[in-house]
Amino acid sequence: MTRHDSDIISHIHQDLHSHLPSEPALRLKALESLLVEKAMVDPKTVDAWVEVYSDEIGPKRGAQVVARAWVDPQFKARLLENGAAAVRELGFEGNHLRVVENTADTHNIVVCTLCSCYPIWLLGMSPNWYKMAAYRARVVRDPRGVLDEFGVGLTDEIQVRVWDSTAELRYLVLPQRPEGTEDWEESRLARLVTRNSMIGTERDLTGRIAEVV
Amino acid sequence: MDGIHDLGGRQGFGTINVHETEVPFHEPWEARVLGIVRAMSPAADWNIDWFRHCRELIEPVDYLTRPYFDQWVQTYAAMLVNSDIATVQELMGGQATSRPSGLRPPMSPADVSTAKRSERNFEREIKEPPVFKTGDSVRAKSHGVSGHTRLPAYVRGRRGRVEAFHGAHVFPDANARGEKRAEPLYTVGFDAAELWPEAKGRRDRVFLNLWESYLERD
Repeated sequence: MTRHDSDIISHIHQDLHSHLPSEPALRLKALESLLVEKAMVDPKTVDAWVEVYSDEIGPKRGAQVVARAWVDPQFKARLLENGAAAVRELGFEGNHLRVVENTADTHNIVVCTLCSCYPIWLLGMSPNWYKMAAYRARVVRDPRGVLDEFGVGLTDEIQVRVWDSTAELRYLVLPQRPEGTEDWEESRLARLVTRNSMIGTERDLTGRIAEVV
Repeated sequence: MDGIHDLGGRQGFGTINVHETEVPFHEPWEARVLGIVRAMSPAADWNIDWFRHCRELIEPVDYLTRPYFDQWVQTYAAMLVNSDIATVQELMGGQATSRPSGLRPPMSPADVSTAKRSERNFEREIKEPPVFKTGDSVRAKSHGVSGHTRLPAYVRGRRGRVEAFHGAHVFPDANARGEKRAEPLYTVGFDAAELWPEAKGRRDRVFLNLWESYLERD
């Protein structure tokens, strides 16, 4: 039976801190062996999940969504209205998604200040910086300074909209389609879209045109 | 709770490592942690908010310095001990001295293809109508609460505007105590200038999703 008591958990953390191996990989090894012995984990299932998150679920999914929105205005309208329902059309299952669109005079950027909420099912594993204190602390207060570090310079006229993922609703930024891609096919457009542009730490994808054949 | 995890607006953290290589995992053990968590038979009374609360309670120095997935290991270890599924002794050596009872059998590799497509739904039906509507001026409550909550310190006491209503969602403060309750959830937009003195004169905005009891009418 779980005791939902903060003080008990604090004491257990202190106890674990002084007794578990100091190397993360060793701590994990002991945990996995124990869970296997306790018949709570099948190591082959762990392998299968590792494969899913290493190869299958990644930012290519989000890029596919963005490219579809760029070529299909009706899909884009549905996506902005109800993100989860629209991406289900592409086979990606999720329940709570809000898509926020960058325009000439707005820039969106996503964070989770309280933990590290991220649309894993659409973008795969989050970058380390997204989970680190510096990004989480700074982006709600100094988004322009953070963007500057990512090489995104914004004029004062562009409004910054910061989305703090405090509930189960996840966010995907819809970046602007770069000029000069008017005759591109959807699959080629998808290759243009970067992970960071869907988090909001990249804005102008024009520079990638030369890299995508 | 007023913990170290509530980082929004804290200063002094320095620069961000923007040149990090873009790979799903930086160390093999990190991938393993995620795989174990997804494969594990959890205790019936665990949930996402209880997990988050247990992570928030990691000692502050560890919270700020230990790698992210290492914090997951620490959090699950604490949850296992708290729920009498494992002892600290067992977690030190990785050898079991007892088997837990009442847990479902471990997920099989064949179950992964279905499980990977099922995302949880946090929306619930409730009888009470929402108190606020889009466009309302609201103020986030001034005081935090002990225990788990999703009202960050940086918006407490600040005025914002209801931008959207999302129906009723599982209420994290209660969920983390093992109580099933849902409350209306709203997106509330705050002017950056309302939150931060240095944002004066800017049109920038910050949006949060806040449950009804975190808000009062302004």
